[in-house]
Amino acid sequence: MKIFDPHVHMTSRTTDDYEAMAAAGILAVVEPAFWLGQPRTFVGSFVDYFNSLLGWERFRASQFGIRHFCTIGLNPKEANNPKLADEVLALLPRYLDKDGVVAVGEIGFDDQTDAEEACFAKQIELARAHNLPILIHTPHRDKKRGTIRSIELVRSMKFPEERVLVDHNNEETLPIVLESACWAGHTIYPNTKMDEHRMAALVKKYGSDRIVVNSAADWGISDPLKVPKTITVMRQLGIDEDTIQKIVWSNPVAFFAQSGRLDVAGIDASPEIDRKQQYATNSVLRGER
Amino acid sequence: MFQLQLRSIHTALMTTRALSEFLRTAVRSRGDSAARIWFDEALAQIAGGTGDLVASYTKARRLGRATLSLNAAEKSDAALLLPDAQFDHWTVEDAGRAALLLSCATTSPESFVRAATDCYDHGDSAEQQSWLKSTPLLPEPEQLLAIVIDACRTNILPLFEAVACENPFPARHFPERNFNQMVLKALFNKVALSRIAGLASRRNADLTRMAADYASERRAAGRTVPSDIGLAMTETP
Repeated sequence: MKIFDPHVHMTSRTTDDYEAMAAAGILAVVEPAFWLGQPRTFVGSFVDYFNSLLGWERFRASQFGIRHFCTIGLNPKEANNPKLADEVLALLPRYLDKDGVVAVGEIGFDDQTDAEEACFAKQIELARAHNLPILIHTPHRDKKRGTIRSIELVRSMKFPEERVLVDHNNEETLPIVLESACWAGHTIYPNTKMDEHRMAALVKKYGSDRIVVNSAADWGISDPLKVPKTITVMRQLGIDEDTIQKIVWSNPVAFFAQSGRLDVAGIDASPEIDRKQQYATNSVLRGER
Repeated sequence: MFQLQLRSIHTALMTTRALSEFLRTAVRSRGDSAARIWFDEALAQIAGGTGDLVASYTKARRLGRATLSLNAAEKSDAALLLPDAQFDHWTVEDAGRAALLLSCATTSPESFVRAATDCYDHGDSAEQQSWLKSTPLLPEPEQLLAIVIDACRTNILPLFEAVACENPFPARHFPERNFNQMVLKALFNKVALSRIAGLASRRNADLTRMAADYASERRAAGRTVPSDIGLAMTETP
């Protein structure tokens, strides 16, 4: 079973995680730009963060045989800092043209403020200008309304819905997303959002079209092996292999391939691991050479 | 009209001075003598215009994290100054920091806001908690509002609690949307709604709907609904 985790914040994870993910069959990941758990106060922090997603993290993943892609965007939480938000938005076009950037994201709503909506809309325009799909983060609080508002905004801006992935769905938001032409992401977390059994139940009820699952592992309580663990539960509950393969591989590949920057033929083959390689004189080795 | 404005400015200034004096006295009667001497010096330097408020704000940690535990006489003094203020969750360090901020509050509003903002921006988690707890005592609340709203976006629970719990500032100053988000976040983080000061007076139709939607989402996920969720609703749906 080939596995693609379409949402995981590897910057916050260890090399042990990379080892375990590779061993579990994860061949490729998408790391969306998000916040860091603590607010950034200078635009320079974003410059370094974006550079790290495109550089060091991609290299680090390759050293464990995993293809690393990313999405670039201003997250909704930090959209509420007006000075910072303007500076980051001005920075984005430069990054959205880069290789391996497969969507604009995570964008969307957190507190559902006017500032968040303005940044969200501006980034939908940027996605159009850079010919990229978008990855939408749906809020923890007032989620159903936030999901509806997100789809309404996409629709009002006439952005093609098939190029939109609405993430972090639950039992109440999934049918709303499936009624549109958007794709539906599900984050399998140990305690919040969605778990493996509930996910399997949703697949039994709604099928596999436009449905993807991810670990969204980050600096909080989370687990980068949640996609393989969900596969195990789906099998136990009798979901067939083709359906599972579609959800954990074909769907995310098809969605992000719309960026034109996902080498579909290439990602099947694991990159060759040569840990003597260096990234700007640094390597994942600790003087083992 | 002008007379009235002058009088209300005068009253606010009196309250600021009286609160400052009240907290100084409370801090002086607690903690060790070295800390007391440092505290008096820091206040004198700030009053004399030679002090470094941001540095003193950090150093106030030497006043200690023992709970302030106001005695009955102090509590009645506090209630006279600020009827809705709550000091039960304050430490001596919190009170010392509030006194430091208030000692700058008699200068121009602009320089006070700048100094107070500096203390927050450069603060570690404990300093930011002290700062947020002290907001109901500070002048220029409208100028500080954006910081307090933004603090609610934290993932650090004690920081969130410093805004949301036992603090009358949000009920007094938050716009409805921000107040509602704060209440939902409290539910989400299992913070008892009874700890939100002034919740009963700020309940509204949108908050009622948001709480009902949250309960529905929890049920659909096979999870329990917080037993105090009704406190966020104007009527039970």
